[in-house]
Amino acid sequence: MAGNEPLPGDPARGGRATATPIVHGLTRPLPVTIAVYVGLGVVTLQTVYPLVWVLFGSLKDKSGLINNIWGPPTELHLENYAQAWTIAEMGTRILNSVIVTALALVIVVIAATPCAYAVARLRFPGRSVVLAIAVAAMLIPPQVMAIPLFMVARDLGLINSLVGVSFIYAATGLPLSIFILRGFFLTLPDDLEDAARIDGANRLTILFEVMLPLVRPGVALVLIFEFIEVWNDFFLAFLLLRQPSVQTIPLGLVNFFQQYDSLWNLYFAALAMTTLPIVAVFVVMQRQFIAGLTAGAVKG
Amino acid sequence: MILPAAILFALFIFWPFLRALWLSLHSWDGFGAPSWIGLLNYQRLLDDHIFLGALENNAIFVVGVVVLKNVLGLGVALLLDQAVRGRAFFRAAAFLPVTMSFVAVGLLWAWIYNPVFGLLNAALETVGLESWTRAWLGDAQIALYAIILVDVWKWLGFHAVIYLAGLQTIPPELYESAIADGAGRWQRFWHVTLPLLTPIIFINTILILSGAFVRNFDLVYVMTRGGPNHATEVVLTDMIREAFLGGSMGYASAMGFALFLIVGALSAGLVLLMRQRSLDV
Repeated sequence: MAGNEPLPGDPARGGRATATPIVHGLTRPLPVTIAVYVGLGVVTLQTVYPLVWVLFGSLKDKSGLINNIWGPPTELHLENYAQAWTIAEMGTRILNSVIVTALALVIVVIAATPCAYAVARLRFPGRSVVLAIAVAAMLIPPQVMAIPLFMVARDLGLINSLVGVSFIYAATGLPLSIFILRGFFLTLPDDLEDAARIDGANRLTILFEVMLPLVRPGVALVLIFEFIEVWNDFFLAFLLLRQPSVQTIPLGLVNFFQQYDSLWNLYFAALAMTTLPIVAVFVVMQRQFIAGLTAGAVKG
Repeated sequence: MILPAAILFALFIFWPFLRALWLSLHSWDGFGAPSWIGLLNYQRLLDDHIFLGALENNAIFVVGVVVLKNVLGLGVALLLDQAVRGRAFFRAAAFLPVTMSFVAVGLLWAWIYNPVFGLLNAALETVGLESWTRAWLGDAQIALYAIILVDVWKWLGFHAVIYLAGLQTIPPELYESAIADGAGRWQRFWHVTLPLLTPIIFINTILILSGAFVRNFDLVYVMTRGGPNHATEVVLTDMIREAFLGGSMGYASAMGFALFLIVGALSAGLVLLMRQRSLDV
């Protein structure tokens, strides 16, 4: 877990030293302190315990799951994991999720960066129109266009294609990414660009070698948002990836539970192995992650 | 420079958007030639009690999550803002569910609500409330609210963190002068904290609204598929059923477009409201 020092890159934390022992310069009466700890205890219990429960359940056998509902397992049934891995074809699903997510992230950064740069720093006719479209498109949820999106994908032969679906994910993430990156490009000083231009660098060189390294926090923010979006997505995958061999993790989980009846302990194992590692990564990275999210929200 | 973005956008956002509008004015089973029927699909929507029920459920969902996420989110943020031991741990714990997928959250809570091995009934029995136990998702009176709580559970930490960032921008001098004026805890909250958080309340409300109409498909599909007897039906689950099981592509497109118009009108209204109060967010 992280310490209490201010988060790097978090503008919100600048105003007040976080090490201040007493809040708002007042001593806290004991009942208030007790109430605060009880409140925090409840908040923590209701988020952590369900996850611990999944871990416990994944190590029980079926009768243990039903007779010993909320306690820890009395004996460890590690074979649940091996069985769930095989039956739910987890290897394939994880690989599919990795491919789709990685491709979508690469595509969205390649497409959004030059566009955001142009909108932020170049003067061209129609610049404000591009920006207005990006903002308006953020308000159109891709879900409401599910049916025509399905048809366009079908016409282009992208149904059941991992690469094709990556492009669609990238497209749906584009407006927000352009908006975020534009904000970061706007903060850069003009001198840098001018200096590079005097040295004879062309636009693309300036963008990729001078400007891009300076907006790395913005790119990181886009990558975090898009990762969460694509890795966790069920809706578009459900719509466009119909064959079992190309399905991603969320789709695989749902199918596993619908296809095989009441393999409860294996369900718990399948959920534990697909969810808990990601949760663990976020716990380790949570400071950067939360700082990025709040900076984005307060900026955006 | 904007060409790659423009191509992607035109192909997968703009073109489908136009086609949704075009399709919604046609009758089409997905295979033959679509036939023009004007606004008949929209007229049919107004008489479709399943769609109207789904719209009503959507409205309950939206009001429920906007109120609960804002109130509880601010409450949790105030707790997390206190100087306590292990504050970083508590923050990380509150944030955990945000990192989970809707599918994982939906499955987890379907099991927590499960009448055979579910955590909730077991907990109620342990504290002697056997009479409260039930099949939470099988009860048409309760299922929708049970799903709303799950959505709140998933996003609470996210909104709390945004409130926390807002709380930390309030200059401590304001609290000091309020104390000098003899203001108590509640007075400071009502007259200093809450007014200064107004922009953050707007940000949170926009974020909640932008998800509340369309991000509920995953949860509903995974947990109840809209049942029992359409009690938890939302517009998207209704739309997907009409399109892929009912084969009414044109009618389903009209549902999607109607939903878009509602979301668009609400967003525009909110943006205007913000402009009026000259909140630059």
